[in-house]
Amino acid sequence: MTRFIQTLTDQAKRLATRSPWIYRINAGSCNGCDVECATTACIPRYDVERLGCQYCGSPRHADIVLITGPLTARIKDDVLRVFAEIPEPKVTVAVGVCPISGGIFRESYAVHAPMNQFIPIDVNVPGCPPRPQAIIEGVAEAIAIWRARL
Amino acid sequence: MQPYAYPLAVLLFPGGLFALVLGLALKGVDRRLAARLQRRVGPPLAQPFFDLVKLAFKRTMVPDIASQPVFLGAPLVGAATMMLAAAMVPIAGVYTPDPALGNLLVLLYLLAIPAVVLMIAGSASGSPFGAIGFSREMALMLAYEGPLVLVVAAIAVRVGHGQGGWASFSLTEIVAYQARHGAFLFDPVMWPALLAFLAFYPANLGIIPFDIPEAETEVLEGPLLEYSGPALGLFKVMSALKSVVVLSLGIALFFPTAPSGVAGLAVQLCKLLLLMLVGVTLVRVSCGRMRIDQAFRFFLKWPLALSLASLVAVVVI
Ligand code: SF4
Repeated sequence: MTRFIQTLTDQAKRLATRSPWIYRINAGSCNGCDVECATTACIPRYDVERLGCQYCGSPRHADIVLITGPLTARIKDDVLRVFAEIPEPKVTVAVGVCPISGGIFRESYAVHAPMNQFIPIDVNVPGCPPRPQAIIEGVAEAIAIWRARL
Repeated sequence: MQPYAYPLAVLLFPGGLFALVLGLALKGVDRRLAARLQRRVGPPLAQPFFDLVKLAFKRTMVPDIASQPVFLGAPLVGAATMMLAAAMVPIAGVYTPDPALGNLLVLLYLLAIPAVVLMIAGSASGSPFGAIGFSREMALMLAYEGPLVLVVAAIAVRVGHGQGGWASFSLTEIVAYQARHGAFLFDPVMWPALLAFLAFYPANLGIIPFDIPEAETEVLEGPLLEYSGPALGLFKVMSALKSVVVLSLGIALFFPTAPSGVAGLAVQLCKLLLLMLVGVTLVRVSCGRMRIDQAFRFFLKWPLALSLASLVAVVVI
């Protein structure tokens, strides 16, 4: 009986991972990475909806978070607050080189890069900005991580 | 009717499970077709089912300032009402609801409940976007309820006159009347009412020209903003059920003629699909969103005038 329930939940989890909803946080990015994220989302060629992805407007609906930008001092508290509003289980993808090291802003007094001092980052998609294909690959990797967390 | 027939009708067929699966499948077809019309591949047909399973695994968070019982109770009430409503709509040749379940008037009240639930949910969540969604939902509801009531009145009076009475609000009788005298779809007197109904159901289902209360890009899904996990899933269940209820109500009111038995069910499914694709998907991909004042004025101008025209014609003739 327990084994039956176990397989049932496993199956359900397998189905569940086919519906990752994506939420974007801009942590002070130059907008380059955001444009690439929007390209990934909006252009028919890369159509992420075929993977079941859906961009959502509310952090409460999100499963996978795409964070762009170097985490500027000004926006840090707000980003942390929004991040806390995303229900578990969630996976974080840092898009661009900014969250890794600060990128072209790394010497600035106004940024708090690297971001993983404050937010647990699961996948890094480097590039300045990364290509849409790379972002999709990052999302695919995030889905694999998410499955293990469900 | 046997006592166990009620729970069966509400929970299994044609309400509850059957309506839920049907509603989610229709939604899947709609999303796939919309994607194809935009030259995308589109999600798998079963995507709404995946979404629902996924939501079941997420955690529900309740905002600090929200009132917890109302916040969590609202989606339950909404889904339960729609289950009940689905059991009240007849499917010609297949299912005749028991008169004790209620007539068209009761159904009208039940149909208003999802909108009320969304309003309550929006205001209970304590989010300003929820409050904006609340006010928009209320304005829209005031606008589309009027024409709907007039459409229903026109049909009720028509059927009532046909039976020598004044008005008949029993859906079963409305379906039977059309089986005898031909569907209202082919009745010129009813065409204005039909047009009014065609304008009503996108607004009631909250799809694109009229998805003003839940506009993602403006108010971040308004009342649903603060919902997550199973509670959000219940709202998805509610809207899937509601689409089935509203569409099959349209079929019962205007074009119920169908053979009996399994063939009747197949015909019903085809009609639902057609209504969904023409009335929802095509409209959705070819329109932009209206502003709330535009939508309000639109409903008070065209659908109201059209449905009133039908009602007057029915009463006079
Ligand atoms: S990685 Fe490059 S493109 Fe992306 S936000 Fe930073 S500077 Fe802009």
